[in-house]
Amino acid sequence: MKPILIVAEVMDGCIRPVTWELVAAAGVIRDLIQTDGAGGKRKAAQIAVIVPAQDPVALAREISSHAKVDVMALRVPSLAAYTSEAYKMCLVPLIQELSPSHILVAHTSQGRDFAPGLAVRLNAASISGVNQIRSDGGGLLYSRPGMNNTRNMLLRPESGFPLVLTLVPGIFSARPCQVEDSGTIIIKEFLSGANQPVRMVHQKLARRENDHQALKQAQTIVAAGRGIGERSNLEAVARFARYFSASAVGASRSLVDMGWIGYDHQVGITGASVAPRLYIACGISGSSQHLAGMKGSDWVVSINKNSQAPICSHADVCIVADVVEFIRVFLEQEDVLQGKI
Amino acid sequence: MKILVCIKQGAADGEISRFDEFALEEALVLKDRFQARVDVITAGPDSAVAVIRRAFGMGADQGIHIVTRDSGFVPAFVTASYLAAWAEKGSYDLIFTGIMSQDMMQGQTGPMLAELLGLPCATGVVKNHLTPALGLVPIEREMENGCRDCLGIRLPAVLTIQAGSRLPRYPSLSNMLAAGKKGITTLDQGDLYPVPVKPKEVLITIECPEKTREGRRLEGTLLDQARQLKAFLQEKDLA
Repeated sequence: MKPILIVAEVMDGCIRPVTWELVAAAGVIRDLIQTDGAGGKRKAAQIAVIVPAQDPVALAREISSHAKVDVMALRVPSLAAYTSEAYKMCLVPLIQELSPSHILVAHTSQGRDFAPGLAVRLNAASISGVNQIRSDGGGLLYSRPGMNNTRNMLLRPESGFPLVLTLVPGIFSARPCQVEDSGTIIIKEFLSGANQPVRMVHQKLARRENDHQALKQAQTIVAAGRGIGERSNLEAVARFARYFSASAVGASRSLVDMGWIGYDHQVGITGASVAPRLYIACGISGSSQHLAGMKGSDWVVSINKNSQAPICSHADVCIVADVVEFIRVFLEQEDVLQGKI
Repeated sequence: MKILVCIKQGAADGEISRFDEFALEEALVLKDRFQARVDVITAGPDSAVAVIRRAFGMGADQGIHIVTRDSGFVPAFVTASYLAAWAEKGSYDLIFTGIMSQDMMQGQTGPMLAELLGLPCATGVVKNHLTPALGLVPIEREMENGCRDCLGIRLPAVLTIQAGSRLPRYPSLSNMLAAGKKGITTLDQGDLYPVPVKPKEVLITIECPEKTREGRRLEGTLLDQARQLKAFLQEKDLA
């Protein structure tokens, strides 16, 4: 059996927790391969995590004790920090030597950056943004979103190619980690490459000052997306937010990009991850990037003109209506109830 | 400075995929500042030529249309191979793509194109301090949680552009009028690859995503729906 390899996600010298999700997903793949198709149960594939770093041994120990899988500590003297160039250069020889069936990478700003190029260099199949893995008896199928997030597309690599996968964070985390292999640490040296011309240099990791405190402390977030139509309609959304106590106004990325509202309001992978008691999505279609930032909310209400918007599959209550009209009617009703009108 | 921007058709006919529009805007800013030449390229069916005309309207100088007859799911590697066949002859200093397409969101075409061309690549670029100077050009990539990865990259390079604060300009009337006179280089996929590029991934089926929540649809007039929402909020002690 060919091994299943994982590239650990290392940032700022630390293992990122998404690495444990990759290990869990590798366990799922191993079990599916073992039971897939005819011919009875096959031998289980080996699972190994590759951790490339200048000094990878401490990181490798952390992985091996946490996930109980074999770890390839790839020592790369020239690797001060992540760049796609450096990663591809040091990973390719080791992956070729191990000849895996799968290479699992996190679908993060780092993984998405090097995985497609890595696949080309390995002459591998490449599927990005995988959100589900299953078997149909004829092999493994990999699901990823498509068609503007309204559908999942199930893909299969052509046989004979290894497969590079980027896995969406937050999907495999809920599963208990059942990968219990030996936990051996093997140290691999990557020594060549010092004479390669340097085409990319990491300088620093900059953090924005904004830490989204208002959004994170809010019990209710009323968030606006492009479906509100016009910038002036943000006023209605803000008025709706004021109806709730301990509330804040959120926004999808596109409103921030258009300059309608500040970054401190942005919810989603590249903004704030929030988990309020109530999240009201106004005119938000529900891209996977946005959903990832608010799926921890206790209750989700969607107000959207489009009844087919992906958010409808991820809301507790769906209101198919014009956002501004609905808010007007809702607040008027409240005024009537309170005797203001 | 010579820049190639890879664009794809968006949701509506003649519309450029949202992120590719941001990529084109980035290139046009460099044109304004340094008189860079901006070429746009698209790989798609006959109708895809409309996105080149729109790009001309925004200010692009030349257009290349690779006419493809692939239908259904076209893997990013296949598209990247078409683009590479033109780009490798063009001596471009910079190649831009959107961070991902609007419909498929794979984010693979740019980095695969870079690999096919043997160029360095940075994805999710939100800021560049590009000048015609040689050496390492400072750029910033967007990471999670408001972090940015600051790095230097040597040109020629491929950058995939994240949507940002710089809004894509609207096509101007004068550019649109001039666009009619601009020639579009049309190439056939068969001329570039007499032996078709073999996909390494195949689409088996398409299905609706699983619901993660109930998605109870409120019925009736707006007032009915408002009352039902109010009842829901009270029941769950949310307001």
